[in-house]
Amino acid sequence: MDVIVCVKHVPDAETRLRAASNGKWIDPDGVKFTVNNTYDEAAAEEALRLKEKCGAKSVRVVTVGPPRAEEALRYVLSMGADEATHIETPADALLDPLTVARLLAGVIKTLPHDIVMVGKQAADDEAGVVGSALGALLGLPSYAFVTELAPDAATKTLKMHRYVEGGEEHFQGPFPAVISLLKGAADPRTPTLPNILKARKKPLTKVSLADAQTRAQALPGAPASGAVRSFALPPPKTGAKMIEYQTPDEAAEKLVKLLREEAKVL
Amino acid sequence: MSKAGGGEVVAGLVGAGLGAVVEAVKAYGPDRILLADDPRLRGFSAQAYSKVAAKMLEGLADPKAVLAPATAMGRELLPRLAAEVGGTVAPDATELSPREGGGLVVSRPIFGGRASVQVDLPALPCVSLRPNAFAAEPRPGSSPKVENVAIPELPAPALALKVEKTVVSRGDTPELTEAPIIISGGRGLKGPENFVLIENLAKVLGAGVGASRAVVDAGWRPASEQVGQTGKVVSPNLYVACGISGAIQHLVGMSSSRCIVAINKDPAAPIFKIANYGVVGDALTILPALTSTIAKSRGVPVP
Repeated sequence: MDVIVCVKHVPDAETRLRAASNGKWIDPDGVKFTVNNTYDEAAAEEALRLKEKCGAKSVRVVTVGPPRAEEALRYVLSMGADEATHIETPADALLDPLTVARLLAGVIKTLPHDIVMVGKQAADDEAGVVGSALGALLGLPSYAFVTELAPDAATKTLKMHRYVEGGEEHFQGPFPAVISLLKGAADPRTPTLPNILKARKKPLTKVSLADAQTRAQALPGAPASGAVRSFALPPPKTGAKMIEYQTPDEAAEKLVKLLREEAKVL
Repeated sequence: MSKAGGGEVVAGLVGAGLGAVVEAVKAYGPDRILLADDPRLRGFSAQAYSKVAAKMLEGLADPKAVLAPATAMGRELLPRLAAEVGGTVAPDATELSPREGGGLVVSRPIFGGRASVQVDLPALPCVSLRPNAFAAEPRPGSSPKVENVAIPELPAPALALKVEKTVVSRGDTPELTEAPIIISGGRGLKGPENFVLIENLAKVLGAGVGASRAVVDAGWRPASEQVGQTGKVVSPNLYVACGISGAIQHLVGMSSSRCIVAINKDPAAPIFKIANYGVVGDALTILPALTSTIAKSRGVPVP
């Protein structure tokens, strides 16, 4: 069984966001990028567990991103993935998630894949598009919001749990398939120093954007993509309006009045 | 939107045993209902449903946009449909407007509500709508025509999905991602036994109950209530954070709420920086006062 996990190099959750001068995205200057603490990291962990528990042959990590995104690949290699593929885009490219899915699909099609794993959504654009779009482009079933999975190699069936509004569904479906993981069964492992050193020597294949675009031409469907028109940060919060009070009842009355008359949410 | 553009609103319903759903949708007054009601579509298979939806689109002269709720199902279905039919996609929209030259311009929150983008969708926009961001108006007295759509030939794996069971996690409180009001508790509640104070306030407001990661990790509350990066991302009209300090991983799950109230003993807690209203005090004494004030004003019994 071959497992592919797709990750995205994203700004760290604690990064202070500033708008870029073109007004279309964040200014990457001084931003720390990572895959740590994201849905993608959970997907990588789950991919590795598939390998360890179910005897998957190899785990390959794939990303679409600028040169710095190699760091994300090395990180997942140091978690234990075997090989990496980097579809390298220019540093300032702002790609629509459907375009990313097409680039990934064009390359994944040429690689052995029984299970393609992605995180529920990237931590930056939060689109959650790539997983099920990959399913369509590769002609495979896709399962999203998955919280647990166990493959049965003999019947090529996955037993899964997935989040649905109001609860959880236990279901099964065939693979090869694409899985978007909401959360994994275990906390992602932290790479050890020996593994970090080993990861430096693991094979990492670069695919140019032009090459990936050529490969994507063979995919079904007409390529179409959205484009960011503008990026906005909310006006800085000035801090809360603090309720002055003597007794809890007074605090409650003042708060309810504000919520009713000023905020109009009650 | 359709009213402004003079077009038709077509409701597409896909699944099995949809009789009651058809009736519910009728009340909102679409012009037509396309129905693919087939026992083979019992469990939600994104592969099957997207192909059925694509077939429904094929039958329309000039579809302008496909809209769905930004539920788990809606968010999974639309990217797949867009990839199938050569459309564009934007999930979790909070605003929509027509785009010059066709398509839509969509606003959506990103970075856990810490920023937003406007996205141009030129080709057939497939857009999921964030719960609470749009109001649904019933249109009584409408009687749309229901047209059956036969399901197209599907690849075998598309119909091989089998749902074994559904575990319902919610009791009588609304689903967190859809709740217009959420009362959320953290470590400041001091113990699982005190969450009854949160539940009581939620009850008088018809609100959902949320929790911080710390109290879920401590086993005080079920994981289904966790708000934050590894839990649910919510955007209610009112979010009341009780005894929650405001770690960044919690903030990314709720900071796009319309109005945030923070109740915390520590005046330096980061939650006050993003809250609209703050009460410095013990949630254990403020919560009961809040519950009884609201219950009395609504004429309902104080729990």
